[in-house]
Amino acid sequence: MLTRKMIDKLMKRIYLLLFVLSSCALAVSAQEWIVPAENGAKLSTFAFTDSTRTAGGNLFNLNCKSCHGDPGKNNAVKLVPPPPDPASLQMQKNSDGAFFYKVSVGRGLMPSFKNTLSATDTWKIISYLRGFNDKYVQVLAKQLAPGISLEQVTLLLTWNKEKKQVQVAVSSLKEGTRQPVAGAELKLFAQRYFGNLQVDEARATDSQGVALFNFPATLPGDSTGMVQLLVKPTDETAFGETKTLAALEIGVPTYRPPLNEHRALWNVNQKTPIWLLLTYVFSVLTVWALIVYVMLQLRLLFKSGEENDPDKQNI
Amino acid sequence: MNNKKSTADPDNSIKSQEGADSRRSFFKRFGLVGAAAAAGGAAIYSGYNYEETKPNRDMVKVLTADNKLVEVPRDQIKDVKVDVARMTKQGREGLAGHRWVMVIDLAKCRNARKCIQACQGAHHLRPYEYHINTLTMQESENTAPYYMPKPCQHCDNPPCVAVCPVDATFKRQDGIVLIDNERCIGCRFCVAACPYSARMFHWEEPLVVEGDKGKEYNIELNVPQKKGTVSKCLFSADRLREGKLPYCVSACPNGVYSFGDENQDSVTNGTTKETHRLSELLRDNGGYQLMPELGTKPRVYYLPPKNRLFEFKEESPIANEKV
Repeated sequence: MLTRKMIDKLMKRIYLLLFVLSSCALAVSAQEWIVPAENGAKLSTFAFTDSTRTAGGNLFNLNCKSCHGDPGKNNAVKLVPPPPDPASLQMQKNSDGAFFYKVSVGRGLMPSFKNTLSATDTWKIISYLRGFNDKYVQVLAKQLAPGISLEQVTLLLTWNKEKKQVQVAVSSLKEGTRQPVAGAELKLFAQRYFGNLQVDEARATDSQGVALFNFPATLPGDSTGMVQLLVKPTDETAFGETKTLAALEIGVPTYRPPLNEHRALWNVNQKTPIWLLLTYVFSVLTVWALIVYVMLQLRLLFKSGEENDPDKQNI
Repeated sequence: MNNKKSTADPDNSIKSQEGADSRRSFFKRFGLVGAAAAAGGAAIYSGYNYEETKPNRDMVKVLTADNKLVEVPRDQIKDVKVDVARMTKQGREGLAGHRWVMVIDLAKCRNARKCIQACQGAHHLRPYEYHINTLTMQESENTAPYYMPKPCQHCDNPPCVAVCPVDATFKRQDGIVLIDNERCIGCRFCVAACPYSARMFHWEEPLVVEGDKGKEYNIELNVPQKKGTVSKCLFSADRLREGKLPYCVSACPNGVYSFGDENQDSVTNGTTKETHRLSELLRDNGGYQLMPELGTKPRVYYLPPKNRLFEFKEESPIANEKV
């Protein structure tokens, strides 16, 4: 039995627990969103112009407006913690790189947009948001490395038979000759019906410009085991949106029959279960046989009645 | 006789006079007609020329099948009839080589109801007619309440299809269970047979009647809807054919839904567009199915409402229930 005292004690404990929990929650919500220094220092490779602002505005309306509202109008959705107004000082004091990082990675209720928005699109949204800040002066990113232009980076995707890994060789055209690009971080994806499935972690190229990816042994390919692969640099801002597609026969050959192929009660008439077919045919035949038998017997009865009829015999 | 002759002569002279007159008049007329014809021809030609070259010829912007915007003259547009028989045939067959699956993460649902609205918009339903609905759930007095979106489970052993007397509802090779409203007789055996209460009946005239007038019936969209027939979730079969995620999946703002192909062992989240291995997602998160003990083999999986992202704001569904 719970006594009054015990209940009081319990309630006190619960209140204390609630207090601690709520203060923890407050601390978490007020916590600074720390952006790694290297990400915070990232810059756009293209200048913010009216056309990037217009494009960014459209992208903002599609992807961000549903929670953040219109910049400067303070009409964000009331969530906990509240989504800040993008035109506010709190948002505008982020560096370009910090903006980029937060949009890409997300936190709590703010979803990650790294799969929904390309690097260029994210920068366009940032350019749109900077339009609400008069004091903003853009600093452009320097090019990747002297002598390399973004268009000349090529990725070569092959299957390394010795190591049983997917090999990606990155090279760039430098003064007319192909040079390996070292230290470029790459991501490998397998193409699926609705999106790209990342395979293995992001890997950086070595001094030979080669990155190796482990390929899962259980990933299904098509009926011959063919898998469409896609490789692109993690840092699209520095390398440009270059990517390479290749089909390699490294998946598990998969063929699964159509789901309506087997005989089942719910399937079409041609796919009726054998037992049902036999039972039905047998029952129908039995009933008909019975009817025929009864008719025959009746006929015999009638006949014998006719033969034994004394009136007819007299004639 | 004489009299006759004498009278005949002047007659002749008159005739000859008339003949000369007519030749002249003939030439006159010919000249006139010729001039008129030439003028008319020139007018027609210049008109034709004008029609050909005039900049503001009545042009219509048309979006082609490969998504290109082109301009064609209005008078050259021909109506193309949608081949309903072909559409119904391909709708019955389904997409080869796929087995669609849906994964619903209950931890992320906050009852935003965007999935429901997107679905009702696409299938022309009233706000109280559901192909998908979010239910408020609580297992027992001491367990936490949560929201549960519930579409049709597209069972691999569908009881609804087994009871249909007219082959109106059927299962396709890619796993989708569809309804042909043109065949449905409204007996509602399927409604009674479904253990998930996934089916609805059109008691009223459909919501959109005027707008759907003359529209050909699309078996993969169930539009136009038909009074006196059954309707239910279609896994957005029309969108899947285009390689797009279903209406509800793409409309969710909270990343509740993932949709994909079991044959490719992958599902893509409708909000983040992130693709996961289906087997890993179910293994790592304790995925489960609704009422698997019935042997219906549903194609919808649920991830349990663990570490819910949102508070359950309403009153607990069974708080006031007297047992």
